[in-house]
Amino acid sequence: MKRRAAMTLAVLAAATVAFAMPGASIAQQKKLVMWTHWDQNPDFNKWYAEKGKEFAKKSGYEVEVVTVPYQGYEAKYLAALMSKSGAPDIFMGMTHQWCGQYDFCDRMPDDLAKTYEQNLPKYMSDVGKWKNVRYGIPIEHGNFQQMYINVDMFKKAGLNPDNPPMKFTGDWLADMKKLTIADPKGGDPTQVGFAIRSKGAPVGITDKFLPFAHAWGARMLSPDLSKATGYANSPEMIAALTFFGDLVNKDKVASLSFGNPEDAFGQKRAAVIFRESWFFGWLKKNAPDVNFKVYALPCEKTCPGAGALFPWTDLVYKNSPNKAVAWEFMRFISNAKDDMEHHQMQGILPVWTANLDTDYVKQRPDYQSTKAMLAQPVPPTYFHPKSNELATAFGEAVVGVMFGKGQPKPLLDEAAAKMDRILKD
Amino acid sequence: MRQWVRLAFPKTHLERRKRAGFLFVLPALLFFGSVFIVPLAQSVMYSFYRIQPGGAKEFVGLGRYEKVLTDSTFWSAVGNTVQLLLFSVPATVVLALAVALGLNQIASLKWRNVWASMYFLPFATSLVAAALVWQWIYEPVYGFLNYALSFVGIPPQKWLQSLVEVKPAIAAVSVWVRIGFDTMIFLAALQSIPQEYYEAAGIDGASAVQRLRYITLPMLNAQIIMVCILELIFNFKIFDQVYATTQGGPAGESQTIIMLLYDTAFKFFRFGDASVMAVFVFVTLMVVTLLQWRFFRKPIEY
Amino acid sequence: MRLRWVILLAVACGAITVFFPFFWMAVTSLKTAPEIQRVPLTIAPDNWLNFGNYVEVFKREPFLRYLVNSAIVASVAAVSSVVVSSLAGFGFAKYRFPGRDVFFLAIVGILMVPFQSVVVPLYVWMNEFGLLDTYAGIVLPDLVSVFGVFLMRQSIEMIPNDYIDAARIDGASDLRIFFSVVLPSVKPAIATLLIIKFMWSWNEFFWPMVVTTSQHMRVVTIGVMSFTNMYYIDYNLLTAAAVISILPILVIFVTLQRWVVQAVVMSGLKG
Repeated sequence: MKRRAAMTLAVLAAATVAFAMPGASIAQQKKLVMWTHWDQNPDFNKWYAEKGKEFAKKSGYEVEVVTVPYQGYEAKYLAALMSKSGAPDIFMGMTHQWCGQYDFCDRMPDDLAKTYEQNLPKYMSDVGKWKNVRYGIPIEHGNFQQMYINVDMFKKAGLNPDNPPMKFTGDWLADMKKLTIADPKGGDPTQVGFAIRSKGAPVGITDKFLPFAHAWGARMLSPDLSKATGYANSPEMIAALTFFGDLVNKDKVASLSFGNPEDAFGQKRAAVIFRESWFFGWLKKNAPDVNFKVYALPCEKTCPGAGALFPWTDLVYKNSPNKAVAWEFMRFISNAKDDMEHHQMQGILPVWTANLDTDYVKQRPDYQSTKAMLAQPVPPTYFHPKSNELATAFGEAVVGVMFGKGQPKPLLDEAAAKMDRILKD
Repeated sequence: MRQWVRLAFPKTHLERRKRAGFLFVLPALLFFGSVFIVPLAQSVMYSFYRIQPGGAKEFVGLGRYEKVLTDSTFWSAVGNTVQLLLFSVPATVVLALAVALGLNQIASLKWRNVWASMYFLPFATSLVAAALVWQWIYEPVYGFLNYALSFVGIPPQKWLQSLVEVKPAIAAVSVWVRIGFDTMIFLAALQSIPQEYYEAAGIDGASAVQRLRYITLPMLNAQIIMVCILELIFNFKIFDQVYATTQGGPAGESQTIIMLLYDTAFKFFRFGDASVMAVFVFVTLMVVTLLQWRFFRKPIEY
Repeated sequence: MRLRWVILLAVACGAITVFFPFFWMAVTSLKTAPEIQRVPLTIAPDNWLNFGNYVEVFKREPFLRYLVNSAIVASVAAVSSVVVSSLAGFGFAKYRFPGRDVFFLAIVGILMVPFQSVVVPLYVWMNEFGLLDTYAGIVLPDLVSVFGVFLMRQSIEMIPNDYIDAARIDGASDLRIFFSVVLPSVKPAIATLLIIKFMWSWNEFFWPMVVTTSQHMRVVTIGVMSFTNMYYIDYNLLTAAAVISILPILVIFVTLQRWVVQAVVMSGLKG
């Protein structure tokens, strides 16, 4: 018994030593390491590595792409970027967080920054910038909500699917009412007009509510992003939130029991959803029998416009020993043709203005609607390092109204006070 | 100080025995010390700093403690966590005990293993995958639970979407995950109770309930305490299930302390505050565990 | 006698209820994405032999490699836990030395620290020793289980002191007593710890995710999570991946269970 135990301990010790050895020696090939958490776009991510092979012919550096799971990615990025070794050379994230809250980004060389200034659509020109200095390359266009409608449900309700509603308090609300089938027994409706987002973290709910806020002319923060009171609880915001809450509580054209809005729309239980351009790819895979059309969002006092709370960009790590090469690679892929090819791999919208009228884009179901959205005025952006926390505090007010926990004015006043505390902290 | 010298250089037989005891414990202590001491110390250190935009640290003494401990969101999270605890811990311990007692009755070892395996299966799945499956079972519209309940005439419930039902629903998932673990522990302990005790009781004419009360439960006392302490610790730190499903919703009803800690550290980038919360969790759990240990532990007489 | 049948029925019903989500998981893994979305619900998949999701899972990720990695990591963690925990458990249970209770409390205290607050300093610390992206790095925080120390202490406490004293009178050294008296008496606890620690380690997600970068070093939990993303969850693939990750555990559990039975029978404690 003792010998056997001693043997086991010996084996264990040997095994531990073996494991402590570094893994199979890394190939001598020099490479740039790129981290991304866009695990829903594997083909898009793979393209960087493919281009890296071409790039290696000129520079000797290949590109290795590591896809990090979205769940927990902030922890992984933070740990690696704080460690100085084992960190990526290039990483994908929000500029105002990694360059603003932390100082992890290398400044983009001027010539490349000028290229992007000239070739990005106007509403995107702030994406990738912090304090007016460009650090990152936006990788996503179409990251703003548009209106998807279920054509068959519209027809059945006696509405014309080619003539979408244009005003929130006007024809949009009226259409929503026509598309809602109440339950005769007084329970939840069997079908609703609007698929509303009520699950998950408050920051996501803020994201879905912002088009309404912007349509009423309200904004979460002051234009210089330094104050919330007077903006997050402005009369316009209160009006927008009242309308939004009434959708659930008074007009009952949206329901909290319908779970995921995407699922509700896919199951033909909701006729309208506001979602970004990746959504029709999801529909094709999960609900191929839904007959849909995409339109620009309705307006109220003004139009919501193309706005996003989460602008994703490619960034270069400030302490990377290979940062010069990393920028070389960025220059290598920063042209209209590569931009087109890259985004086509995953069926998403290209970023360069020149590519916005190509056939590829023209054939997409959201072509006309995207053009219409881009023609609307650019909505407020909130690229502040504390945007997550601010949006969470704001979202708590929105959720409170939706779930009947309070009225818009007091909840927004509370949220605005909290946001100001966060800003001052 | 003298006792440590005696430990290293024992003279008497008793002292040699003491050193032996210490040496048995040493590998574990060395391991935990070398792996965790430095990270733990750093984490506690962070609680005295304020991280500024740009990444620089600023020493603020107890400033962050004041901020976090006066924040109503923090105390909401504490309240939610405690409520979840009150649902899940007693249920887990009592049910696990009942199941273990029931399994112990099964004479055939093969069948006992089959049923025990089924209880243990939830522990075999990653918490996140399990939570996602449960989220789907709880789905108000196409989830299985409402579908099954409709057969007995109960109208569809909102479960994870309901302000009231979300906590019991999440607690149920926690119980489901952990019941097998505790059952295993109780079962192993039950199987170690010498049969003679029961035989003696049988001769004395004790009933099943009396056997349970006077032999089984006292013999299991140590395990029951251990399970209670562990369940309290694990459920106080509940995170994965909530993060994967409700993310603290609806309307903050399911936001637990660790969820708030995680968001504070990694989404709001306020490391100092997250460390304060960690210290709070540690101190609270330590105090509660000490209380449980001191008051409920009864020495076992042989 | 009737009470016994009621008990058995209750246990069986409980087991089936607990098992149900797995049945659900398995059944979902045989459905296509549109089938899953279907309202009203259909329990059975349209095609019971639809293994398309499983094929897709292996195509998208090197799942076999992930399973091997998980197996290595979990085995090392389980064995090492048992060894160190039983040694420590013996020391705590049957000996008195200065600082004993403080040390025990310190060890249990590790469990009370939220891992999320320690993960970044731990990562930086591991990096100092070059352990990132290695098996050692993945398994190191997991090598000793606090629960294991706790369990072993409780179980060894239950050994009557007479057995130990008898061996000591016979002149056995402490280590001898450990191997010949203590270990055999706690075989059920050892088997329990082995199984529990293996499963626990198998299901770790956060630390392995943070410490590994290369795809070939990932473990199975990361593989399963790769079917979720920022926008949506591929339930058909997620459930297939989850089933794949549970099957090896089931096999191991069934095998080890037999060993538990043997161990219990051979230790002669249950007459």
